[in-house]
Amino acid sequence: MEKTEIRSRIKQVIGQLLERDISEITDDSNFVFDLGASSMQSLQLIAAFEEEFDIELDQDKAMEVQSVSGAVDFISAYLK
Amino acid sequence: MDPINVPITPRFFIHKNNMEKLFYPKSVAVIGTNNTKGTVPYDILFNILHSEFKGILFPVSPGEKSICSVRAYKYVVDIDQPVDLAILVFPSNVCHLAMEQCGQKGIKAVVIISAGFKEVGEKGREKELQLKQIAEKYDISFIGPNCLGIINTDPAVNLNASFARKMPEEGTIGFLSQSGALCTAVLDYARAKHIGFSKFISFGNKADISEIDLLYYLKDDEKTKVILMYLEEVSDGQALMRAARDIIAETGKPILILKSGRTDAGASAAASHTGSLAGSDEICTAAFKQAGIIRCNNIEEMFNIGIAFAYQPLPKSNRIAIITNAGGPGVLTTDAAIIEGLALASFSDETTQLFRKSLPATANIKNPVDVIGDARADRYNLAISGAISDPDVDGIFVILTPQSMTDIDTIAHEVVKVTDGYTKPVYTSFMGEADVSTGVNILQRNKIPHYILPESMCRSFARVYQFGAERHERNSLPKNFSDIDRHDAESIIAEALGQQKTFLTEDKAVRILGAYGLPVIQGLVATTPEQAVKYAGDIGFPVVMKVLSEEIAHKSDVKGVILNIKDKSEAEKAYLSILQNVSVLQAGAKIQGVYITKMADAGREVILGIKRDPSFGPVIMFGLGGIFVEIYKDISFTVAPVTESAAERMIHEIKAYSILKGARGMEKYDTESIRTCILRLSQLAVDFPQIKELDINPLIVFKEGNGCFAADAKIVIQ
Repeated sequence: MEKTEIRSRIKQVIGQLLERDISEITDDSNFVFDLGASSMQSLQLIAAFEEEFDIELDQDKAMEVQSVSGAVDFISAYLK
Repeated sequence: MDPINVPITPRFFIHKNNMEKLFYPKSVAVIGTNNTKGTVPYDILFNILHSEFKGILFPVSPGEKSICSVRAYKYVVDIDQPVDLAILVFPSNVCHLAMEQCGQKGIKAVVIISAGFKEVGEKGREKELQLKQIAEKYDISFIGPNCLGIINTDPAVNLNASFARKMPEEGTIGFLSQSGALCTAVLDYARAKHIGFSKFISFGNKADISEIDLLYYLKDDEKTKVILMYLEEVSDGQALMRAARDIIAETGKPILILKSGRTDAGASAAASHTGSLAGSDEICTAAFKQAGIIRCNNIEEMFNIGIAFAYQPLPKSNRIAIITNAGGPGVLTTDAAIIEGLALASFSDETTQLFRKSLPATANIKNPVDVIGDARADRYNLAISGAISDPDVDGIFVILTPQSMTDIDTIAHEVVKVTDGYTKPVYTSFMGEADVSTGVNILQRNKIPHYILPESMCRSFARVYQFGAERHERNSLPKNFSDIDRHDAESIIAEALGQQKTFLTEDKAVRILGAYGLPVIQGLVATTPEQAVKYAGDIGFPVVMKVLSEEIAHKSDVKGVILNIKDKSEAEKAYLSILQNVSVLQAGAKIQGVYITKMADAGREVILGIKRDPSFGPVIMFGLGGIFVEIYKDISFTVAPVTESAAERMIHEIKAYSILKGARGMEKYDTESIRTCILRLSQLAVDFPQIKELDINPLIVFKEGNGCFAADAKIVIQ
């Protein structure tokens, strides 16, 4: 899967879960500081990414991913 | 109430009485000196003579009749005149004998240069203790052992009682150092830049007179305007903070400290988030800031800022004017100034008209003023005079690049001349090295701060400005709440300590927090599945269940927490799962039950904590909480007791403050309730030294006006 598509789908998931307009979500957006995610929402995001891409993520490493671009790289590695 | 309520050092008043004899002696005995050139015992005597000491000098050497043509005495008690100060240079194994004789002679001030004490191990430590006991018997105050000595540049005494190669220039910087070897490097560095000192003190092992005693001495020393200190260990952090506060409040003298030892291996062993995140260096940085101490990263930075304080007045505002003969350095300086929080002043119409009329058409007459590469001294004079007279300018930066037509030395003289008589600070950066060296020398000799790089200049100005601006902010007092139940908290802690327990379960931690007015939700402890179902129903769904065990510090690690339990059936399952999980993941752990509380509404999670630092005492931590604590380490510290302004600052300091204040269209959170929690927690920390570590994680904060509450808590006692 191309990174462009992964990025687009990640932004969709984030927008839906954090109730943010897609236009507000940039590649550099930090889940916590820019998008206001709480602990619970961060865990939900991981679950939502797993569902969206049909993959199983390493929870501890996934928690360290802090930005949209980080999530794109992280998930891309699983899809290779 | 004094914010830092600690005693001054035990022998403070004895030292205070003896300091005059230490630094302004009318007579000095060098005990243990000899005739062997190039040794410490000889050089000390030679240096005192060579520095043209104004008093009388007595060499004391059992084996010599005279040293440097001065009559020598066999023992100090043989001297038939009073002796104010003794310098001990004997080997460590006989120092105590000389010290005893000093006591018999009535000498009250001693500097022990000799090494071979605490720094070499237990035997040395015993010898040091022996010296201290003799000093206490005779009310002697001593500096050292294991030090370079002391220097007083005051022409009234001219004392170089050290083995530094040369006497430094007279100046207004008081320098204290725990390391003797560093002192010689500092003196050499300072000499090259014409930096002068009022007092230069190497205090070595600080067995008797400590840095705290010396700080108080420099507070009252009229010759000292700025205090610089190199420190390897903070023995009494609370006393240091108190001294700094006293000095700044009473005299306005700034204190700059270069503190080594930034790594901390011990923090990783802590049981709580606060314990692991609050390393001793982080706490030291926070404590220094809280007390108004400027912490420096290296010697260069310390002197960069030190000379700014020593040579120039404090700026009234952060509005500066930049005068340069080159565009690039002007832009660099502007960038650095903005990064450091300074502002470029807007010139008045009068100044603008003056520059338009008098400077070349190609010059930039706006700030930063570019007087163009062919500028000579007259053009610099005009620009500096114009800017310094402008009421909207409170500081001047003069930049010079050495171009073929630049008359560097004349411009340096012009800077000195034109700024004389003004009470606005002027800093300079003559960029380069070889060509500008004589000009720089002129500036340094005339006490105009000079920096090789404009970035260092901006940073130094910013630190000086910040010090002036925050000087009075530190005077607020900690808040004391009267609606607390100290007795209840005391009984829980006493009972636990009586049972040799060091970890309090959540139900007890919650009770202690509740006793101090922190917002908590009291839960119920179930010990059977039936009780769990009943209590969950009584509390009202949804609920949270957590394992309750004095042996489990991290409940999530053993899957001992289940959130959002919606009905009775889920309650029974949750209870059983928790017991099952714990039996697998921490087999054998003694479980007191399962703690059931109401499931909180969603809010922003922050962390509050306490850690007891061996040097600074109770420290309060605040930061982004929940699962983000270890990921982001977005935290701030303050030594308790916390004042209202410090609590406010803690909240503002973390990166996540942008979320709390409602950035990017998000709603504001109730930061006022966080502030109150910090202050209440601070009171708890001060009241109970038995609390070693405490975590409230998360403290759930709701939207503005809706408060917050502690959703989980753990307390480690000692």
